[in-house]
Amino acid sequence: MTVSAIEFSRLGPPKLRLYAMRCEACDTLSPWWERNHCYKCGGGALHEEELAGGGELTNYTVVYYPPRDFLGQEPYVVGHIEMDEGVLMPAPIVGVAPEDVAVGTRVKATLRRMKLGHEGDIYYSQKFVVDAEAPAPAAGE
Amino acid sequence: MRVGVLGIGKTPHKIQHQKSLRDLVVEAGRKALDDAGVGPSDIQALYVGNVGSVGFNFENSTGLMSAHHLGLVPAGAVRVEAACGTGAWALHLGCVAILSGLYDTVMVLGAEKMNDLATVEGTSIIAQAADSKEEYFSGLTFPSGVALTARKYMQVYGLTEEDLAHTSVKNHHYGARNPYAHLRFECTVEEVMRSAKVADPLKLYEVCPMTDAGSALVLCREEILRAQPDKPQVYVTATQMATGTWYAATDTLEDAHALLARPAQRAYEMAGIGPEDIDVAEIYNSFAIQEPLGVEALGFAAQGEGWKGAADGSTWIDGKVAVNLSGGLLCKGHPLGATGSTQAVDIIEQLRGTAPEGMQRPDAEIGISACRGGPGAVGAVHIYQRLEGEA
Repeated sequence: MTVSAIEFSRLGPPKLRLYAMRCEACDTLSPWWERNHCYKCGGGALHEEELAGGGELTNYTVVYYPPRDFLGQEPYVVGHIEMDEGVLMPAPIVGVAPEDVAVGTRVKATLRRMKLGHEGDIYYSQKFVVDAEAPAPAAGE
Repeated sequence: MRVGVLGIGKTPHKIQHQKSLRDLVVEAGRKALDDAGVGPSDIQALYVGNVGSVGFNFENSTGLMSAHHLGLVPAGAVRVEAACGTGAWALHLGCVAILSGLYDTVMVLGAEKMNDLATVEGTSIIAQAADSKEEYFSGLTFPSGVALTARKYMQVYGLTEEDLAHTSVKNHHYGARNPYAHLRFECTVEEVMRSAKVADPLKLYEVCPMTDAGSALVLCREEILRAQPDKPQVYVTATQMATGTWYAATDTLEDAHALLARPAQRAYEMAGIGPEDIDVAEIYNSFAIQEPLGVEALGFAAQGEGWKGAADGSTWIDGKVAVNLSGGLLCKGHPLGATGSTQAVDIIEQLRGTAPEGMQRPDAEIGISACRGGPGAVGAVHIYQRLEGEA
């Protein structure tokens, strides 16, 4: 759903930067939205930590009925990516046909147009593509 | 605890272009008043469950609007909102109000008018019940968020898409018999599997429709219902609410289980009964995977085995516990704010013995309703008992 430009500027989606929140009490790395307390231990001190951009796809779905701002992109893939630093990120997977998506695939972040607002405003953020240079999983993995 | 159920009422659950939100409120509320045998002036407080009137209907203050159009002024009225758990929260507050001793008689009402907008707008409004600004910035929707839970469940427990399809087959068997249901047709496993993809691995027959409906209950102190032995002696004997994580990304299968298992455990303790005592259950299933999750959380099956009852018959009408004899949300639809109150009305009909033919569990005495939403953020459990002939 579209939000006002000023509200968008206040929010913390990883728009141009890719980061997560590190708990200073228990060391848990949480998604970027956990600004206020650690969901694991309740600790109140967290700091931003940059993510390198690589990870593994652990779960995904294919969206056939999108919200308004994503109209025209369907069907699109949204997945959970376990980042190499150890935090789960929800993000679209692009550049691959839905039927070719597989759990366990190495992916990397790429800055793309995420969606269009109701006044034609363009929102950029991180999507993920298959990391073609990643080594193939070892046999039996 | 015992809270008397003096009256119940509900509108048909379907697309109702000729009716506005206030029409649904008035229809459901008047039916409950008539069933209770009381007038508007007997209602001391009104709790209205409504999720999205600001978005769906461009109006707010639904509680105050309802009080006026039902003729309840000057009784206190408030609108309650907790995503898909909204109607159950209204019921909880109604019970708490009676139990507090402040009121003798209150009304609980849930209503939602969803079909004045196109599906794409409705999807966007529903997404606001989760973090539409941050997590759902990724293009997630409610169906796709729950689809991720479904795939996780399949990965961990080995559930196949065909296994899950039995849940829709069972719900549609009963939904076809429910004159108040939105989708009234039976279907086979093959038809579920062939139905259009909505959010992989969930298919059209595994997703609830957007529905216009209202439902209402008149609640009273125990003594008031006891004094009217000619009325059905059905009481709410437990009411429990809980929250869970607001984010699918950090929501594990254990979290999804605990969301309802925690309030269910407390509800069983409150009523002094256990899962083995339950005859009928209404379990939230806006998406098919949520029925097995609920069956497990309420203690009817071990984790990872909640889907089996729909396949082997043990959650059908003559099974160990009958689950969703109304057709569930998959057939009734999911009129957001009304869903929790309709679950209550449907269970109470079962305990009164007035459910439609083909849906009535013989001699049902104890029922339970479980509502979840957000999709992992709110859990609600209520227990109801028919208690005839007790002093």
